[in-house]
Amino acid sequence: MTDAVVEVRDLRKTFRVSERQEGLAATLRSFVRRQRRDINAVAGITFGIEAGEVVGFLGPNGAGKTTTLKMLSGLLYPTGGEARVLGFVPWRRENAYLQQMTLLMGNRTQLVWDIPAADSFRVLQEIYRVPEDSFRKTVGELTELLELQELVHKPVRNLSLGERMKVEFAAGLIQSPRVAFLDEPTIGLDISMQVRIRRFVAEYNRRTGATILLTSHYMDDVVALCKRVIVIHHGQLLYDGPLADLAERMAPFKVIVATLHDGAAADLSVYGTVVARDEGRITLKVDRQIAPERAARLVNDLGDRLTDISVEDPPIEEVIDRVFSGERVGTAP
Amino acid sequence: MRYLRLLALFFRTELAYELEYRTNLALELLQMVVIVTTSVAAVLVLFNYTTVLNGWDLGAMLVLLGCFYLVQGFGELVLQPSFEKFMEHVRLGTLDFALLKPASAQFLVTLRHFQVVQLAQMGLGAVVVIAGLPRVSTLGPAEAATFVIALVCGFTLIYALLLALSTFAFWFVRIDNLMAIYWSFLDAGRFPVDIYPGWLRVTLSSAVPIGVAVTVPAQAISGRLDLIGLGLLVVGTIAAFFLASWFWRLDLRSYTGASA
Amino acid sequence: MIDVYRALFVGQIQAASQYRVQSILWMLFAVIRPVIFLAAWVAVAGAQGGRVGSYDVRDFAAYYVALSLVANLATSWNSYEFEFEIRMGRLSPKLLRPLHPIHYAVVENIVWKMTTIIPMLVVLGFIAATFDARFRSTPAHLALFVPSVVLGAALAFLAGWVVATTAFWTTRVHAVATLWDRAAFIFAGQIAPLALLPGPLQTIALVLPFGYMLGVPAEILQGAVDVPTAILLIAVQAVWVGIFYALLQVVWRVGVRQYTGVGA
Repeated sequence: MTDAVVEVRDLRKTFRVSERQEGLAATLRSFVRRQRRDINAVAGITFGIEAGEVVGFLGPNGAGKTTTLKMLSGLLYPTGGEARVLGFVPWRRENAYLQQMTLLMGNRTQLVWDIPAADSFRVLQEIYRVPEDSFRKTVGELTELLELQELVHKPVRNLSLGERMKVEFAAGLIQSPRVAFLDEPTIGLDISMQVRIRRFVAEYNRRTGATILLTSHYMDDVVALCKRVIVIHHGQLLYDGPLADLAERMAPFKVIVATLHDGAAADLSVYGTVVARDEGRITLKVDRQIAPERAARLVNDLGDRLTDISVEDPPIEEVIDRVFSGERVGTAP
Repeated sequence: MRYLRLLALFFRTELAYELEYRTNLALELLQMVVIVTTSVAAVLVLFNYTTVLNGWDLGAMLVLLGCFYLVQGFGELVLQPSFEKFMEHVRLGTLDFALLKPASAQFLVTLRHFQVVQLAQMGLGAVVVIAGLPRVSTLGPAEAATFVIALVCGFTLIYALLLALSTFAFWFVRIDNLMAIYWSFLDAGRFPVDIYPGWLRVTLSSAVPIGVAVTVPAQAISGRLDLIGLGLLVVGTIAAFFLASWFWRLDLRSYTGASA
Repeated sequence: MIDVYRALFVGQIQAASQYRVQSILWMLFAVIRPVIFLAAWVAVAGAQGGRVGSYDVRDFAAYYVALSLVANLATSWNSYEFEFEIRMGRLSPKLLRPLHPIHYAVVENIVWKMTTIIPMLVVLGFIAATFDARFRSTPAHLALFVPSVVLGAALAFLAGWVVATTAFWTTRVHAVATLWDRAAFIFAGQIAPLALLPGPLQTIALVLPFGYMLGVPAEILQGAVDVPTAILLIAVQAVWVGIFYALLQVVWRVGVRQYTGVGA
């Protein structure tokens, strides 16, 4: 773990919230004695990220993703545990650390609404003390990669959501950070803009070798960008490893899709659980171990009634969904 | 030095923005001229019946009114827009961005935005000061120097108080009303603070130091402020500034959960 | 119509109860300026041996306490709100309802005034005590104050709407409203009781509508004018209300046509 950029050990964050019941009597009672409840937003997680990795950070709403990102970027003090990013303790917010780090949030903007982004870039240059020549170089590169030429001279309020996000990315990267935390960077964007942002992040990572930790609700983001994912739920680490293995570990079944000429009438329930049926296309859910054998039997039995057949891992969304809804059958073989 | 450069940069970007809306600019200027003229008229109405008001003659009153617009103009030039944005940042959660910059968050947040047109209000204030000046004193270098020092102290006092007030935003989120009350209290600065009855005078000179911020510079330029008074003002201002900054940082720490 | 108003009232009272703190703060806000000028006049009177014209220190106190009360009862901020609604495109849905938008504003104003009147009286009582106010009013004055303040409120409300309707033509209502407010600052009795405005200003003030919104009801409540004069002033107030009512009818009709014509 010597060249680890992010090191997290047993990190915890407990929020204390006061609870209040409805009604006057309850309000008065709580005034005298507050009902406090501790919420373990992050309940002891440990992981490390190597330099140059792009890691997807997954979990349902309230899993503790944003809390973790906030602790790693230095916005929140943890309740317990340790974290080092680039060798710094993030929540000390030392300038030397802030200088090399960025936090981008898809649903929040750091640009000033009424002025063109180019002016905000200048301000950021001054704040981060970026020398003029590297500023020009960085802005030039970002402009090219994100196709910003037209956008940076318009007041931010005149940009569309997608355009604003691109400019937001540029603003967050003026200082050429070595670590980037991206919190839902594609939220609310249309598909083509999502694709462009993804392509940008991948290209940026390739060019600069920056380490990236990203959360997203769109599995496509994660599939496109991250070889490795970290899954947390209820503040606890559920999975940390290659994305490719996630389905194997978490979902105990495979999906067989068979297409038949006369599929509308066929009954394939003897081969597995029928989960979908669309004209001749029938989707079956089959236990992982017996999937190849069932597929072979299908080919054998149906012969030329079959026009197409495939055996796949279930869609990643579905796997994740199963994990989060507590159906963790995958760990027990 | 770096902070001064940043300040100039903030100012320039918003200047460019405001210059784009020329009709707006012209209308704002017109409104300011009307507001200042009617205020001068109000003072003249009062002085239609008297030659002196608690020891302040017409010239001194005009100087005071000018100082009032200098201070209020400063408040509306940078403090009001910045603090409004600050409250918005707290509400929208975008304050985080400022905290993650390798520079003083307090500076980045509280001196970030300008309403450049308000320079005109300060300019009009200066005109009113100059109009009243010949009746009051011959302006020597000593008066000019103490005036500038007192005025800077006045600005800083207003800033410190707003800073302290704004920390409530961390808890109550909606404090626009509190701020509105504050700005309306400013209005009391248009008359010398000693005309107000006891409880109001105490409020205006300590809790809301608008009285001090306006009255003392006006005394300074009329040569009525001695060195002891000036020293007290400077010491008080520095204390208020550091106290408010400390208070702000303390609240910021609880915002990030450091003290929880 | 009565049912409609009852429904509007219930809605507004519920809304107001959520903004209790806010309305009390705004009420304090409305008291600050009269107190400032009261203090100034007390200082002037002090320099002149305790009396300016027909006013002594305690009369000033009574006048400005009365003025604060009237300002609270007669001022409305709807013109600013109306401009905002037009700019944000929120007027259109209201125009589609079978009720003139002004009724919402009427109810809003009445509810706001009802919710602030008690704390207002407490604050004014405190100010009256601090400055040792003396009212010269007789029961007749108090009786005349009621129609006078109602007419003043109606006049301020209608005039505010006339100003607000300029939003149909220009987005710069704020500038218009500022000019209007500053005229009121001079001529409505805020900087001085109307009787103390220097010659020409006083003449202008009596011709313009501003004084009839604030200054006149305040003088009647304080008892600064005798009963026949008070009745005459109330008659003038009624005339002004009529003029602004007619004006609003015309301006509103033309304005809505303009507004819907642009297709906003």
